[in-house]
Amino acid sequence: MSDAAAIFRAVGLSKNFGGVRAVKDVSLAVAPATVFAIIGPNGAGKSTLLNLISGVHPPDAGTVMFNSLDVTALPPHARVRHGLARTFQKIRLFKQLSVIDNVVAGFHARHRIPAWQYVWHGTAFRADRARCRAEAAELLAFVGLSGRGQALAGALSYGEQRMLEIARALATAPRLLLIDEPAAGLNAAEVEALLERIRVLRQRGMAVVVVEHNMDLVMNVADRVLVMDYGEPLFEGTPAEVQVHPGVIAAYLGAES
Amino acid sequence: MSDAYSAAGRARWWGILAAACVIAVLPLVFRDSYWRTNLIVCALNVMLAIGLDFVVGYAGQLNLGQSAFYGIGAYVSTLLIMRLGLPFWPAFVCGVVASALSGMVLSLFAVRLRGHYLAIASLGFAVITYQVLLNWISLTQGPLGIYGIAPPPPVGLPGWQIDFTDLANLFYLVAGFALLSYVLLDQLVRSPIGETLTAIREDEVSAASLGINARLWKVFAFAVGTAVAGGAGCFYAGFVGTLVPDAFFITESFNILAMVIVGGMGTLSGPVFGAILLTVLPEFLRGIGDLRLIVYGLALTLVVLFMPGGIAQALRLARDRLMRASSRQTAGAKP
Ligand SMILES: Nc1ncnc2c1ncn2[C@@H]1O[C@H](COP(=O)(O)OP(=O)(O)O)[C@@H](O)[C@H]1O
Ligand SMILES: [Mg+2]
Repeated sequence: MSDAAAIFRAVGLSKNFGGVRAVKDVSLAVAPATVFAIIGPNGAGKSTLLNLISGVHPPDAGTVMFNSLDVTALPPHARVRHGLARTFQKIRLFKQLSVIDNVVAGFHARHRIPAWQYVWHGTAFRADRARCRAEAAELLAFVGLSGRGQALAGALSYGEQRMLEIARALATAPRLLLIDEPAAGLNAAEVEALLERIRVLRQRGMAVVVVEHNMDLVMNVADRVLVMDYGEPLFEGTPAEVQVHPGVIAAYLGAES
Repeated sequence: MSDAYSAAGRARWWGILAAACVIAVLPLVFRDSYWRTNLIVCALNVMLAIGLDFVVGYAGQLNLGQSAFYGIGAYVSTLLIMRLGLPFWPAFVCGVVASALSGMVLSLFAVRLRGHYLAIASLGFAVITYQVLLNWISLTQGPLGIYGIAPPPPVGLPGWQIDFTDLANLFYLVAGFALLSYVLLDQLVRSPIGETLTAIREDEVSAASLGINARLWKVFAFAVGTAVAGGAGCFYAGFVGTLVPDAFFITESFNILAMVIVGGMGTLSGPVFGAILLTVLPEFLRGIGDLRLIVYGLALTLVVLFMPGGIAQALRLARDRLMRASSRQTAGAKP
């Protein structure tokens, strides 16, 4: 991929936790309107890589470029303003908030309210509130949660919580969405609906990075696949290339036998 | 859905109007100075409790230093009046700002510390503040205290003067500020700031993934919550007329926290009731001497065990039951 085409680029990322080399010299580039899958057995370092990209952990080495801007030194909240959003492998919703308020919280960086209207709610305030609520309702509909808005987030089923996390991340209006193990705990129908939503996002021009340990799942949605094993990049290519790559097969057979 | 929101908004303004009416009537009902004094203490405690709830209940930062901010507001404004001859209202503003600034400094620790550690750090801050007030004798006169502090100056309207040596008028002033603080905080928590603070309370990593700068918003929450406490401190000095460090001992922090917990954390109306209840209840229990501490402690334990949402939760439950009962009645009447 040429430099200009990529919306996101990571070069030589490494991270150690004590003696554990969780991520070792990983580079990747993601183009807009593509789905980029990162696969690998459990413990391969996929979530750690995502944490390096989103800024939860600082890397020991390497740079993270977003829109040809070096964001390596930025804290996670600052990266959101550049169009980066994520979900978590272990779901991290605001459980005491309603479903719709979880999504509305995602509009944090996108409010258009003059400062004084925070203490005296005026027309601009009400317009902004109405816009956020309407957009949040749309996002809930998009992930198949319409009608669930008033429920407490903690009361949703596991699959619904995963979808709500995606809706909340989408509320930040990202250009790059990182999804960590979205299919974990979902039934077959829910997985199908999820993949379908990811395709729609790609169609709208969003770059989506999906982390998944189940290789088969991402094969018919990914444009590019990066295979990781023991923190290292094993192979990168199209799904068709990955499926016949002997090293990948060996890694997976080794992991699953 | 937007209808439900504007309905909730209207209901809130009716509630505030009702509170204003209650404030107007109270001194007419309670005419002796003993009860009027208690009314003013209630209003001060309401300010302290809702200010603390903004930090603890909404932003989720366990602040055990509210007594210190109360004291900073009281001492800063009083010293400016007595030593530098500043008029009351400019001194009031300085007291509020001094409280807010010290709250912001403490909140910078909150960035690194969480949960128990922040609680201990803020308690330490309250202890240090108390010790400074006690031992910086050249400034505060230590345990001897500062005497003869004047109440806020009278407000002169043409042909009509409001004199704050009158306890009823002083109550109107303090309760008016308590109501104003309530409205301000209420507007904030019903704005996107409310969601931002609760997001930080619920999960900071998650909040950061939505672009929320937790460090900045904790500083903001502390600034607002401690500014309200500082305002209460300024009124306290002018109301009691005497300042001694013991008024701002750390036990006061726990009293205020108890008001928030009994009232219901994370709601603004709850701590108002909590503050009133825990101000008035000990007065009724005065007859039983030190036994009242046991009753007080027992009441607190029972609330935490059986009604963790406090008075606010109890009121919600009662309202829901009433609504269900009335809808059952109308349903029963129809056929
Ligand atoms: N915060 C952490 N502290 C210490 N070790 C960690 C931490 N996060 C991940 N690891 C370790 O790094 C390795 C990679 O983990 P992870 O990135 O979660 O893998 P994956 O998501 O591919 O299953 C594992 O050995 C894990 O134990
Ligand atoms: Mg993982």
